[in-house]
Amino acid sequence: MNRIYVLKRVLYAIFVFAVVITLDFFIPRLGVDDPAARYYPPQGNMTEIEYEIVKQATREQYGFDVPVFQQYLNYLEGLTRFDLGTSFRSGSPRVSDLISERLPWTLALSVTNLVISLFFGILIGAFAAWKRGRWQDTLLLNASTFTTALPAFFIALILTFYLGFEFELFPAYTNPNMVAEFDWSWDAIKVVMNNAALPILSMAVGGIVAYGQSTRNSVIAVTNEDFILTAKAKGLTPRTVLYKHILRNAMLPIVTSLGMSISGLIGGAVIIEQIFNWNGMGTLFLEANSTNDYPLMMGIMLFMSAVAIAANLVTELVYGLLDPRVTVGDRR
Amino acid sequence: MKRKCALLVLAALLAFSAAGCQASEYERRTDASNTLYAGVVASSFPVSFMPWLSRDGIAPTIASMLYSTLFTYNEETGLFEGLIAKEWYYVDDAGEPLLREDGSVDYDRVEAIYGAADKTYLPVKVVLNEGLTWSDGMPVTAEDVYYTFDIATNNTLSNHAGALAWTSDLQHGYSSGTLVEQGIFTYGHGAADMGYAISEEERDTVLYLHVNKVLGAVTTLFSTILILPEHIWEPIVTPTNQLNSKDPTAATLAQYGHPVGCGPYVLDADRSNAQVIVLERRADYALTAEDGSALYKVDTIKFILYQELNVAIYALLKGHIDLLDSAISTNYLSLFEEREHMFVSNAPGLFLQTLVMNVNPVAGEKNPIRDLLGDVRVRRAIALAIDQDELISRILNGSGTTVAAGLMSTANPLIYNPDAILLPEGLEARIAEANALLDEVAPTRDEEGYRTLDGARVSFDILGSVGEQETIAFLQVQLQKIGIEVEFASKGSSPEKTYLYNSKFDMTIQGVTFTISNLDIMYLAHFVTLGTSSNYGRFGDPDLTALIREMRTTLDLEHKYELILAIQSMIADEYYKVPLYCSNVLSIARTDRYQGYVTVRGSTVFNTDTLQNLERRDAS
Repeated sequence: MNRIYVLKRVLYAIFVFAVVITLDFFIPRLGVDDPAARYYPPQGNMTEIEYEIVKQATREQYGFDVPVFQQYLNYLEGLTRFDLGTSFRSGSPRVSDLISERLPWTLALSVTNLVISLFFGILIGAFAAWKRGRWQDTLLLNASTFTTALPAFFIALILTFYLGFEFELFPAYTNPNMVAEFDWSWDAIKVVMNNAALPILSMAVGGIVAYGQSTRNSVIAVTNEDFILTAKAKGLTPRTVLYKHILRNAMLPIVTSLGMSISGLIGGAVIIEQIFNWNGMGTLFLEANSTNDYPLMMGIMLFMSAVAIAANLVTELVYGLLDPRVTVGDRR
Repeated sequence: MKRKCALLVLAALLAFSAAGCQASEYERRTDASNTLYAGVVASSFPVSFMPWLSRDGIAPTIASMLYSTLFTYNEETGLFEGLIAKEWYYVDDAGEPLLREDGSVDYDRVEAIYGAADKTYLPVKVVLNEGLTWSDGMPVTAEDVYYTFDIATNNTLSNHAGALAWTSDLQHGYSSGTLVEQGIFTYGHGAADMGYAISEEERDTVLYLHVNKVLGAVTTLFSTILILPEHIWEPIVTPTNQLNSKDPTAATLAQYGHPVGCGPYVLDADRSNAQVIVLERRADYALTAEDGSALYKVDTIKFILYQELNVAIYALLKGHIDLLDSAISTNYLSLFEEREHMFVSNAPGLFLQTLVMNVNPVAGEKNPIRDLLGDVRVRRAIALAIDQDELISRILNGSGTTVAAGLMSTANPLIYNPDAILLPEGLEARIAEANALLDEVAPTRDEEGYRTLDGARVSFDILGSVGEQETIAFLQVQLQKIGIEVEFASKGSSPEKTYLYNSKFDMTIQGVTFTISNLDIMYLAHFVTLGTSSNYGRFGDPDLTALIREMRTTLDLEHKYELILAIQSMIADEYYKVPLYCSNVLSIARTDRYQGYVTVRGSTVFNTDTLQNLERRDAS
């Protein structure tokens, strides 16, 4: 892979991250005239002067007492020290601590979901391509229509209602003590697996079908390419044709989907986490949003954006490795 | 090798599925103890309990159970009921209560003494209950109250703007951390110097406050501020380590995590986390029921977090919890009716929904059609056309009550004016009257039957949220009967800034809650103040303004009540905020473990009365 291609991608990622930081700071402030007035509306028989004192104290308390641009500079200065600020919640916990507490739980869900979706998706997709035009293939196509039409949260509600509440095959929602009592013992890991089953299943249904569909289409498209015919004509074994030529080329769209999935690993399960009471990043974001906790909202959005930008960068670099043609333009 | 890897992954997935396929054991089903399982629909639970918690979510509920205010205010009787304190009086300069022979407040003397311009404050004597203790066993004293109010007024130590707001009626103030005006007096803090006699026996139970010269001045002080233990916080709190510290020390965090309060319950920190909060009843809580038994009947309360309402409802239906401490939509009502072991609390609400008209837009936002709303005949016609009963039946499934044009809920019997209903009975007659009124203003109609003014259709937008769309659709049908077209307009995320404060609207849906305790501020905000206030339509009436100002400043409670009744009649007569409905607060509980749930106005089934009345079924 040529260096100019890599350099361009990295510089572009840095530029996007700078834009994200700026938007991340200003967007939560849009639509709010005076955060102080929102926190403490006038009380009792308070005069205007008294109320102004209260509002000023609120501004000082939350750092809104300096001009917005100065707040922005303070925020940037904090970021250089990897300081995302402190949350408004009781006890003023550091945003980075809150994120690091919740992140593993979200990753436990989303990475497992990704592995399951990828594994079964590729398996089913390749199988459907092999059985092209037969009922197995039709089943995948119909399943794809079904899962595209039904959002994951709806599937989650159906699953929790039937498998959780009605038949009690799985926990309907996360055991409230799961996180607090987790100690890496086998019993604790089993509890996590037990509680994660339905949320993962809810997400994986769509994921498997999506990867399956993508793999199927890709494999079929590549199989019909002239170079595959050439490879066969050269006398290569079917195994070599499949692994070296069909699958490698069929991986390109899958890598693209994978990159997008990785960028959504952190924030992609907000509603699923909410339905199953899963104590992860998604619910943390909802908490921040519902309590107007700006530092926490900004911290989470920035973190999610950073992961997405990094995932996209890696995807583009891997893409370049898999298909050197995409870097040709940068060579000139 | 690749095949082996694939098999390994498959085996791992199967193991995962096998481990996952095992139902949870829901604790409540087998719990024989006196433990109430309360589901809460919220985004999170607090894990750190700064005493003056935020106003969001379950935090205030938890705070009110761990800590206590001096009194609780009964909106129905207009009286303060004792908690930490048992009595309070307006007093004369010597600290003697201003009482009539029957023990009631002598408002004539209060007004006679303190109505004079040279009197700048109203002195109040507070007497605490004896024998109250903090959850660590230390006694609750008047010095704790002094410390709490003092720190609340001193932002240098508290760093809590809310506390400044709560104490704005207390004439005790700091400037940059220095006391500039003392308005709290105890045995140890200058009572004798002020001429207030407190005996040695009373030193722990009596204090005096200087408050602003308005009758509502004590309300927030008495019923909002949670009293803090001085012995816990005084050694820790400093200007560099404030009560509401941005960067709390380990000692402060330890107190946040293990709160010491004087409420009926104490936090079981070891069993609580971000998804469960466990409260244990204090065996040494001094307040008892009339028969001497424990005032609160439930030993342990477990709050369990649900982030999704439907999941919480099914958890209740399936017996994972005893009750749901969240109001639910009336759309769910049919789901619970006729079910076994289910208590449905359909409590009358305090929150009124109104239709507000832009009666006085700023100059740049005037137009001939909008100007029609400035005409009281048009407003009355609109009010006449709205059938509240039908609205409640269709939109709230019958779970609500009609509202008088004076905008006071019947839940405030002391100040509710039943005569402030100026609309005649019978919808047909009302529609006829409405049409007659509008014929005086805009008699012509277009081919679709809508009224026109100078050739333009009389059409108004009603600003509303998505949840209010159904209500607005109903109004659309109702107002069509009098030839007025209305359409839904989305409020967006910041309606005040975008539309309401700058007159960029015709009508809007607005929720209002008027109670005895908030009238002083709310009447001003809704009918007098222009600009960034709840008076979106910029209504102004000098007579009403004068009446509201008099109501706020009178020191005679009976006169204040009379003025409130008169204000309602004036409000009703203006049709500026047309009442739509007052929706009930719907909540649910299971009755297979506990009985004795109490329905309380404006509250869910999880309320103080319920906790003081609940009984395990197998205990009876």
